[in-house]
Amino acid sequence: MAQIVKPKPVNMGPGFWLITAILALLSVGAAAFWIIVPLPMGVEQAADTAVPTDILFKVLAVIGSALFIYVFGYIVYFAIVFRRPKNAPANTIGVQIHDAPVLEFWWTVIPAVIVLGLAIASVQLLNKIYYTAGDVLTMEAIGYQFGFQFRYPKLANPVSEMHIPVDTPVTVHVTARDVIHGFWIPEIRVKQDMVPGLINTVRFTPTKIGVYPIICTSYCGIAHGGMHSAVHIDSQQDFAKWFAAQQGGTAAAGGGSAAGAAIALSAGSVSAGQALFGQKCSACHSVGPFTQKIVGPGLGHIFDDPDHPKLVNGTAPSPQDIAMILKNGYQGDLGVMPSSQVNQISNTDIANLVAYLVSLSKK
Amino acid sequence: MAVVSTTTTTVAPHAVLDHIHPEPTSFVRRYIFSIDHKVIGIQYMITGLLFFVLAGLLAELIRIQLLHNDARFMSPEVYNGVYTMHGSAMVWMVIIPLVTGGFGNFVMPLQIGARDVAFPWLNLASFWMFPIAGVLLFGAFLVGAPDAGWTEYPPVSLQGPVGTNYWCVAIFLIGISSTLTGINFIVTILKMRAPGMTLTRMPLFVWAQLSTAALSMIATTALAAALLALFLERVFGIPFYDPTKGGSPILWQHMFWFYSHPAVYIMILPAFGIISEVLPTFARKPIFGYKMIAFSSVAIALVGFMVWAHHMFTSGLAPWLQLPFMILTMIVAIPTGIKIFSWMATLWGGSIELTPAMLFAIGFLITFTFGGITGVFLAAIPVDLHAHGTYFVVGHFHYVLYGGSVFGIFAGLYYWWPKITGRMMNERVGLWHFWLTFISFNCTFLPMHWLGLQGMPRRVATYLDSHDAVFWNQVASISSFVLAASTLLLFGNMAWSFYKGKRAGANPWGARTLEWMISSPPPYYNYKRVPAVLATPYDFGNPLPYIGLDSPEGTLPTPQLTAPPAPAPR
Repeated sequence: MAQIVKPKPVNMGPGFWLITAILALLSVGAAAFWIIVPLPMGVEQAADTAVPTDILFKVLAVIGSALFIYVFGYIVYFAIVFRRPKNAPANTIGVQIHDAPVLEFWWTVIPAVIVLGLAIASVQLLNKIYYTAGDVLTMEAIGYQFGFQFRYPKLANPVSEMHIPVDTPVTVHVTARDVIHGFWIPEIRVKQDMVPGLINTVRFTPTKIGVYPIICTSYCGIAHGGMHSAVHIDSQQDFAKWFAAQQGGTAAAGGGSAAGAAIALSAGSVSAGQALFGQKCSACHSVGPFTQKIVGPGLGHIFDDPDHPKLVNGTAPSPQDIAMILKNGYQGDLGVMPSSQVNQISNTDIANLVAYLVSLSKK
Repeated sequence: MAVVSTTTTTVAPHAVLDHIHPEPTSFVRRYIFSIDHKVIGIQYMITGLLFFVLAGLLAELIRIQLLHNDARFMSPEVYNGVYTMHGSAMVWMVIIPLVTGGFGNFVMPLQIGARDVAFPWLNLASFWMFPIAGVLLFGAFLVGAPDAGWTEYPPVSLQGPVGTNYWCVAIFLIGISSTLTGINFIVTILKMRAPGMTLTRMPLFVWAQLSTAALSMIATTALAAALLALFLERVFGIPFYDPTKGGSPILWQHMFWFYSHPAVYIMILPAFGIISEVLPTFARKPIFGYKMIAFSSVAIALVGFMVWAHHMFTSGLAPWLQLPFMILTMIVAIPTGIKIFSWMATLWGGSIELTPAMLFAIGFLITFTFGGITGVFLAAIPVDLHAHGTYFVVGHFHYVLYGGSVFGIFAGLYYWWPKITGRMMNERVGLWHFWLTFISFNCTFLPMHWLGLQGMPRRVATYLDSHDAVFWNQVASISSFVLAASTLLLFGNMAWSFYKGKRAGANPWGARTLEWMISSPPPYYNYKRVPAVLATPYDFGNPLPYIGLDSPEGTLPTPQLTAPPAPAPR
């Protein structure tokens, strides 16, 4: 075999142990940072499930920082101190060492132990996230293109807002009507895909009153980026109030029928409506004939298109009918249209949009 | 090992192969439909780099859109097409063809002392599927680009524009090309090594190509089946994935990731191989832990087949089914760690020359390590339940694929460019390229980690401006413009070098693997006489371990034994 030129008693290089000590200090500093920082991901904790996730994140961050600091530090250090001097011939060779079995043994075994430890810790913490006991409120969240609906026991119709009472174990069964969506509440650290034909489950106990975003994390079509909603974590009393109001108003809430007062349409501006249409509607609706479908029908001749199914009770749609669909959303044979709350459009916006649609039909 | 004297060598009797086919004389047979592995390798590189530019421009469009959280630079339709094509092209038309078809084809047969790959005509067929697939893929822009991301999850991909069908066919085609290349390389490496080149004397780049070829050959078939089913469902309505007709959307995810997770290793293992060549050459040291690096490539390839469902922790798998995937995924960190530590140890005590190739190799070690660590974060199910589908994942895989595979490609380009063209690139421009790329790369992709953790999902044309999301996206976008500009330095350098670069000679770097023992560029048949191999190629302290080599320059470069630099006293 080749003659291995062994360096005499291992001289690791000038200042090696000093560098090692500095890297150790940096690692300790990084570890201290991760341990002290209250919210390692920079996101509030609004439920019990956020706690184990953040603990695991801290553990990973402590180990990961130390590993990265050492790899980075040593590589830069080696690259500097072992540089071939400018005046040395190009065929100057380095230390001819092929392996160091003891060193290799430890850098295989130590990571293996760390990894197994992390796996065990993950399983332990996962038990705190995938728990099954203590459901008090069980509800459903349904994703559709492009919004969320929520069904509660004792509410006849789905609602477009998610309200949950604080300090109450909640079970959310998530599914989807059309394609796969994601159900993610960053402050609660839970996520499940909403898969059509499958019911996935999320369990948590909200701990902090507030309004937090619900975000779709699975590409679901043209307006995926705009698909978010909000979860309102209410006090027990506020939740009871909201729930009672829903029970009272629930008869009028469904299916695009008239709910609430008529919207004043006379002041609608065609140009403002056109601009808004480009922003909010054109992702799903063309201005072509009714049958020219993107996600929803084409709206170019919505008031006089012969292909248009009579929208309300067999009569041709009036501007006010369209305004109500914009306000309350629609759910039926043609698909699902989110409400103005989900779409974030005001009554003035609705008036402008209707004015624009009327102007299109007249062309 | 006996000391070999290169001056007293007589012809090794088993190494004489007198019959040499003449080089084709027509332009078409020589440069277009060539069966020479070197020409095919260069064809792969040119085509792959062309697609790299196109897909890179798409990335810049994405970054322009995300400069503002409610931007109107592109409509959502266009934006969704752009990011889908960026991802698909970068994976299938850039990285995989460059690292396997490009470097694998040009370098691997030279490194094992072969005159060509085992099946040259198959190689020709493999290559020509690639530009056709690329044209089909980019042609989808003309009919409505696919919009559901490179993963094309049904049912939303069933609704996608007609270009999604083009996408299916293009990826199917490049998949066949990749499978055939895999078969070709396995046979070549197992059957066509020079006499004396045992498996453990192979250069590590060859080990990496062998592991990669096995992955390509086995895994790609699952992708082909999944794509065929998607195509049949989209075009003929045969329900595989649509749940309203009895299909299962989760089926696609299993089949897709059964391929696409190994595909991650198809993209990174050859880059590992490149790094394993560059580091010993410029440190003038044997690679540290040769057998462990080779073994860990094989281990990564094996375990890589059993981790695919870690992409599906939020899809509704039973918890008990998630656990083995989490643990196996974390176990991949062990062989990967062995490699990283061995490369670090290769640097230790070296006689290091910081050429552009070496700097990209060192940059690779740093950025890839970072991407590997965030990979363990994502493997931990509780963290993944938060980070899945967010920009944290985008940051992670760009650290692995750009900071890993693409840095490896850059290192390989600087390293083998003199062998390919016979000319040197400008070193100063190369250094500028490295530093600009390294800094702007980190400024582009580092902020994505906290953007994702704080609520920004992937694949969005608009996003919520919470937690300073707009600011950090602007940092990422502006850095990405610098990143794109820095790449122009590489292309400019290549163009300049091709016409004006200094002549390289056979072995400008003083490397020891076989490809450096013949002229640059190598002659049509590589080796007039196939050499016999006596030892691993990395023993810089020993004479070259080859006999019977007919060097075109008359003499073999023999390293002059110089004492290692004495470390200064502590």
